[in-house]
Amino acid sequence: MLNRSCIRWPGVFFACAVWLVIPVFGFPKNPADEHVQLELISEQNAVVPGKELWFGIRIDLQDGWHTYWTNPGDSGEAARIDWHLPAGYEAGAIQWPYPERLSTPPFADYGYQHQVLLMVPVRPPAGLKEGQTQKIGALVRYLVCREVCIPGRKELELSLPVQTHAASESRELFEATRSRLPRPVPPSWRISATSRGDEFLLNLRIGKLDKEPEFFPLEAEQIENAAPQEATAIPGGIRLHLKKSKYLLKPASRLKGVIVISPGGGYLLDVPVLQSGRDYTQTRH
Amino acid sequence: MNRNLIHGLMVTLLLISSAYAVKVGEPAPDFQATDSNGQMHKLSSEHGKFVVLEWHNNGCPYTRKHYESGNMQRLQKDWTSKGVVWFTVISSAPGQQGYVTGQQENEYLKQMNASPTAAVLDPQGEVGRLYSAKTTPHMFIINPAGVLIYDGAIDDKATTEQADIAGAKNYVSQALEEAAAGKPVGMPTSRPYGCSVKYAH
Repeated sequence: MLNRSCIRWPGVFFACAVWLVIPVFGFPKNPADEHVQLELISEQNAVVPGKELWFGIRIDLQDGWHTYWTNPGDSGEAARIDWHLPAGYEAGAIQWPYPERLSTPPFADYGYQHQVLLMVPVRPPAGLKEGQTQKIGALVRYLVCREVCIPGRKELELSLPVQTHAASESRELFEATRSRLPRPVPPSWRISATSRGDEFLLNLRIGKLDKEPEFFPLEAEQIENAAPQEATAIPGGIRLHLKKSKYLLKPASRLKGVIVISPGGGYLLDVPVLQSGRDYTQTRH
Repeated sequence: MNRNLIHGLMVTLLLISSAYAVKVGEPAPDFQATDSNGQMHKLSSEHGKFVVLEWHNNGCPYTRKHYESGNMQRLQKDWTSKGVVWFTVISSAPGQQGYVTGQQENEYLKQMNASPTAAVLDPQGEVGRLYSAKTTPHMFIINPAGVLIYDGAIDDKATTEQADIAGAKNYVSQALEEAAAGKPVGMPTSRPYGCSVKYAH
């Protein structure tokens, strides 16, 4: 199979030729390496037995390049991390900072430019002995795009000693990233969603805002990513008009996403969608 | 009158009318386009047959996943041998990734041992925009009555890795099998995955 495709197609042939010279010259650089740098970092300078600590994959992107949020939008793919941890460790999920909308009309993606830290909480086992060295590994698979897209794969490693106390090392970056993680909505907020015609109406009774908020759907196929999110005033707040995705064939029962307000940051929404009966029948033709 | 201007107007009209023009369960919009051999194809001329539209960009890592593994070629062979019309559509604009001349595309098809019914060249992006093709690949299926019955991804593994193909559920084959058996398509849409289509700006 490999041999046949090597002969059949010059690009593959080249790839095979590279593959053959690996033993002589070492691993070739991933083409994505030219545009992105990845590093595995720890917030603490040591592992404290049984105490949660935060690791992060820091992604530094060349100008013009971007990588993706957990919902990438109309194209692209979110990064994935496979952890290689010592026995007894438990890694949590990536905590995604809210993204920016990367618009290429008529489509839009959700992602990050310049720099992003993908933070993951990790709990080491309680029975670790002081003085041991812990080797933490992560295989990151990611996609970076400009006009073109390049998939990347990177093995990252980090060693930390086990100590009874730890000091913060990369605190600033972790703290800055924490301020971009979506938070639960304050209890005083009143949020509801209605399905009307080809729109969702997201009613945010959250007081006065200086700037129009922006909604980022956590699930694909909910809203048209590139459609403008028109804001209108309602008593006690603002209403966002979100155009339904054409991939939404069944009525959505919940609207999940991140609402970003300025100043304030990102808040996690998960609200039931009320069906506005009359208007709903209109969309069924 | 200036031909470019007329052309531009037509494209604009197409664009205006194309918002929500494509919807599963509704007639697929007709188009006319030239293939890599200079042959003209019209969707409505294929009435009575299933038609698959495959958006393509030979440099996109998601497209390459399905071609370098032979997966796309296998699908093309399997379904065209059963009478399905398969149009590979290339909407990359000149200067953009994936743009090819007819001759370059013919060489590519030969090298890759690919056998779509035709590779349709759409450098102005008219067909792509008419269908709101988002990604490469992005797959559409039209039934013999001319109704769109599938709009979405090629399969359920949105990655660039060939190793994922073996365990993936192929939505295109699934939809064609169901429709050919007279059943409704269980999964009529899915989120298409891949690189964005490289339209002219």
